[in-house]
Amino acid sequence: MSITEKILCSKTHEYIYEDENNTYVIGLTDYAVEQLGDIVFLELPEVGTEFKKGETFATIESVKAASEIYMPISGKILEVNNEVVERPELLNEDSYEKGWLVKIERTGDEAELGDLMEYEDYKEELE
Amino acid sequence: MTKETFLHDKHVKLGARMVDFAGWHMPVQYTSIIEEHKTVREAVGLFDVSHMGEVFVSGKDSLPFLNKIVPQDISKLSYEKAIYCQLPNKNGGLIDDLIIYKIGLLEYLIICNASRIDEDLNWMVRNKKGLDVKIDNQSHNYSLLAVQGPKAAEMLQTMGLNTNQNSFTIRPAKVAGIKLLASRTGYTGEDGFELLVENEFSEELFDKILEAGKPFGIKPIGLGARDTLRLEAALHLYGNDLDENTTPIEAGLSWSVPIDKETDYNGKEVIMNQIKNGVDKKLIGLKMLDKNIARHGYDIYYNGEKIGVITSGGISPSLNANIALGYVKNIEEICTGAIVQVMIREKLHDAEIVKRPFVTKRNLVKIN
Repeated sequence: MSITEKILCSKTHEYIYEDENNTYVIGLTDYAVEQLGDIVFLELPEVGTEFKKGETFATIESVKAASEIYMPISGKILEVNNEVVERPELLNEDSYEKGWLVKIERTGDEAELGDLMEYEDYKEELE
Repeated sequence: MTKETFLHDKHVKLGARMVDFAGWHMPVQYTSIIEEHKTVREAVGLFDVSHMGEVFVSGKDSLPFLNKIVPQDISKLSYEKAIYCQLPNKNGGLIDDLIIYKIGLLEYLIICNASRIDEDLNWMVRNKKGLDVKIDNQSHNYSLLAVQGPKAAEMLQTMGLNTNQNSFTIRPAKVAGIKLLASRTGYTGEDGFELLVENEFSEELFDKILEAGKPFGIKPIGLGARDTLRLEAALHLYGNDLDENTTPIEAGLSWSVPIDKETDYNGKEVIMNQIKNGVDKKLIGLKMLDKNIARHGYDIYYNGEKIGVITSGGISPSLNANIALGYVKNIEEICTGAIVQVMIREKLHDAEIVKRPFVTKRNLVKIN
């Protein structure tokens, strides 16, 4: 299964997919990364921090500007991708496999996922 | 309505990402800002800067008129020379910054910022009262292409331009048979030329430069890299680093304000007083000591006290560091080598005050 078949996307361009039991991987869509251009800085939260759906959990900076990244669902940070913090340009190469941002444990209702879009619908929304 | 340069469709075809800048729909990048930046530092890049304003000043009183509106002494500007100036208001604050070229007897060309053309023209008309001067805004008739980088001269030489031309001079020339005005100026800190051409020839010129530049590694360059290049060279951007509440002395532009100019000009009293008695705020260059990026509008702190604000900030692809320009209170200990802090997302980050420019300006490349 290709990655775009298993992800759900938010209107603010985050993706999320279920990895293992109750573990979710969050990152930025290829569209978001392309729009940002060269990514030069990334600030990720500390492991253990809890966020509600829609809260800012990270900051990303391209050459031009700083942008916030929002939680697509409520969750607690289990793991952060330190490799992309060291080498933010990895995101420009591939925001799905190497360029994921955080892994979380879902703390809210599963129904929160209902507000997100399938990749195909997300792409359509952009047009 | 957003304006388009004559090269707009070309940028779109080349795959540029277009943004609105000062009322113009302009290319911000074609491939990658960092890549484009390095192309200009290492080889040669082509910029469409046709959004800039071109105003021709002529008439019997051109010289007294120009001398009244800028601090520079235009009586010392000789034929085919260019000079960097500011347009101060009565309080010494800056309406714009410009380059004035002497292009004929009693004839001058002013290149001004796209965002300020209307304000500049208004101000000039207000200042021409009683003077025999013609102010002719030709911005809509001309395109401006900048060819910048260490290989710019060598490349243009292959297109028939005699590049035996000094920095800050302008002269009529031909590039690939196209008549234009060639100025050895730029906004990148590199050697290079700015080519002023009538709109109808701009597409042909653009294409021919890209073609002839291929062996030199030329690329079209967007406004994104133009901004990182000028920041490394610590060249002011109007609207960020200069505005109507900032004088040239505060902006660190004293080198462009002669102290012995005899004639009066707008803001002279304030400006001369600042030269004599000092300023309350001053421009500094900062280098971040961690990976955080200082940006326009962020506050600067010293010993826990807010002392100023960042006016331009970002990455320096050449230094692989993050740099910024900002204004701070003019306190003696806030000098080169001092450590201050920048407030970024509610946390203070150390930055060192460093000399400007951040990247040394490259000398002219002589081809013979």
